[in-house]
Amino acid sequence: MDGSKSTPVQSDLHDNPQVQPYLDLHDRISGSLSGENLEWHSLWRHGCLQRFADQGFPTARDENWRYTPLRPVLSKQFTPTRELNAVPKITTKPIDGIGHSLVFVDGVFLKPDSADKIAPGIRVESISDVLNNQPDYLRSYLGKSSEDTAHAFSLLNNALYSDGVLIEIRSDVKSDVPLELLFITQTEAALILPRIVVISRAGSSARIIERHVGNPDCHSLTSGVGEMYIEKGAYLNYHLIESASDSAYQVLGNWAYLDADSKLDFHTTTIGGALVRNDLVIDLKEPGAECNLMGAYCLSGRQHVDNFTTVIHSAPHCNSNEHYKGVLDQRSRAVFHGRVRVAPDAQQSDAQQANNTLLLSADAEIDTKPQLEIYADDVKCSHGATVGNLNEQAMFYLKARGIDRDTARSMLIRAFVDEILDKTEVDPIQQHLKSLVDEKMLTFRKFHRSGVSS
Amino acid sequence: MLTIDNLCASVEDKSILNGLSLEVNAGEVHAVMGPNGSGKSTLANVLAGRDQYEVTSGTVTYKDQNLLELEPEIRAREGLFLAFQYPVEIPGVSNVHMLKAALNAMRTHQGKKELDAVSFLKLIKEKAELVGMKQEFLYRAVNEGFSGGEKKRNEVLQMSLFEPTLSVLDETDSGLDIDALKIVAHGMNSLRSPDRAMLVVTHYQRLLDYIEPDFVHVLAHGKIIHSGGKELAEELEEHGYGWIEEHACTV
Ligand SMILES: Nc1ncnc2c1ncn2[C@@H]1O[C@H](COP(=O)(O)OP(=O)(O)O)[C@@H](O)[C@H]1O
Ligand SMILES: [Mg+2]
Repeated sequence: MDGSKSTPVQSDLHDNPQVQPYLDLHDRISGSLSGENLEWHSLWRHGCLQRFADQGFPTARDENWRYTPLRPVLSKQFTPTRELNAVPKITTKPIDGIGHSLVFVDGVFLKPDSADKIAPGIRVESISDVLNNQPDYLRSYLGKSSEDTAHAFSLLNNALYSDGVLIEIRSDVKSDVPLELLFITQTEAALILPRIVVISRAGSSARIIERHVGNPDCHSLTSGVGEMYIEKGAYLNYHLIESASDSAYQVLGNWAYLDADSKLDFHTTTIGGALVRNDLVIDLKEPGAECNLMGAYCLSGRQHVDNFTTVIHSAPHCNSNEHYKGVLDQRSRAVFHGRVRVAPDAQQSDAQQANNTLLLSADAEIDTKPQLEIYADDVKCSHGATVGNLNEQAMFYLKARGIDRDTARSMLIRAFVDEILDKTEVDPIQQHLKSLVDEKMLTFRKFHRSGVSS
Repeated sequence: MLTIDNLCASVEDKSILNGLSLEVNAGEVHAVMGPNGSGKSTLANVLAGRDQYEVTSGTVTYKDQNLLELEPEIRAREGLFLAFQYPVEIPGVSNVHMLKAALNAMRTHQGKKELDAVSFLKLIKEKAELVGMKQEFLYRAVNEGFSGGEKKRNEVLQMSLFEPTLSVLDETDSGLDIDALKIVAHGMNSLRSPDRAMLVVTHYQRLLDYIEPDFVHVLAHGKIIHSGGKELAEELEEHGYGWIEEHACTV
């Protein structure tokens, strides 16, 4: 990091029309971003901006983006909303049994006016407030993700995010009631840069939902970064629910760092979005850490969803278990990239990975790519991928029992996806996810009625 | 009730049924016997409407309708039931969920009110008891991990639940031990009535000891080569199909 905020950043890439608008944007708004008066923070931001300018957006030549062309995203201009107290313009059906929802409109955190509803022991505070009141508190947490893996989108968030939220779960918290972060996207061409820091203190246990919803006509770009620190013996259950509109672009990066004997259950459910890329990076830093990554995606039309997961076994005696299942209709496309790295001294690692796809249309496509880098010798690792169509024998069996084709299809699709959704321990969340899938299946049927097959 | 006239059907361009004719009236039980590969399951599947089987000529009339024009689910709702020779495993779909959806689809079609969860459970538990099926099987995925005999029992459970007008039972007795056979036969017999009929495909005289057929047909090379009363089954048991094939040719 050799930059400071007084040095203008220039793109090495000559006249890069994709990068330049964001550099200009930085010049216009940098004065109003959180933490600008903090040296460590502004140095970090500036370094990220420089890296962003230097490397530009990924191209098809970038191995990690090979199957996800960014043309539709990069050909549009997005700008952050300046409205600080936006009122949600769309109504969102709440999930029953949720303790409290923190609402973000076009990425701007509406500070809760009644913080008392949040479970005691859970600190929820805007990042700008924390930076103002405790200038060094977040120093070892905020931006750690940029030290290792970072691509243009997360660098852009680092450089330009205006505010975000810290959720700190104190050691004595044992809460089953989920805390919800609700992201509502409602402005056309909005650039939304969510920033979340979660700190699960030693021994704590909590559940968080991050849910994205949006106005159906908004071509917005969300580039989010979440950083999760799960201390010794803590448990975090995190549900990422992507039910944005089918015109939204969404690139979400989540990094989790697990200390000894801690556990993370991370569920990703993707229903909405034109182009969605989820980077999930889990570092099992200390012995006894465990992560379960579960993914379900149901896509139609021309939706494109790329789940890029990285699990790093840095220490011995850690378990990782990863299972993603997808249903693809029409011309939708999914990518699953499962990178597992087992460090040389991470003996007795257990890393399992599976990706199963149900293709409902000959035009749908899945690219699945396991990437195992195993440097220890006493490890159990497995990966498996399957791709199939609806089981015709099962379809006939159900029809021979008087069940019509659409219902039979739904039963089989739900049965396929439910293997993942049933792992959701919280009933209301599970019900919510299942109803999202059911709604989504209606779009499958409509297309089939009007064309593809009888 | 069912009139099959000169039916020809093929699978993957291979002709399997070659001019099969059969008449089944209400109240009757017909047994269809025949060597392996003679086309018994093909007949059963064509009746149920499986689309891999292509009907190349002939007609099938069921309750005064052209059966071949009806979708499989409509055939089922119209009271035609196929007990599969190899019931399909459907992971992730619970038996009870499937049975309820199926029964209510049929009831709606027949102008009856759907059963609510409570009445349905009561009914299905009675039926399970009738066919000697443990209740846990209701909550498992359809046929998943069921033994051969349990799968067959599940077919008979469905039959007694749906109370079909015409039951086509494809080797429902295979893979059953003698106790299970008795229970299954009891389930089938309890559905015998003047307005229902059954087409029982079997290899063995055994089942017919419990379910007395009115007619026995021998199917070979895709057509019925010989028909008779229940004593025909005994003769077949004694002499084998070779005998009847020769016999049929010389008649
Ligand atoms: N799906 C299929 N594909 C190819 N051949 C089939 C298929 N189903 C049945 N056959 C063939 O048709 C013939 C009759 O089969 P089937 O009706 O099952 O006989 P059965 O039930 O009398 O033993 C056999 O030669 C069998 O191999
Ligand atoms: Mg057969």
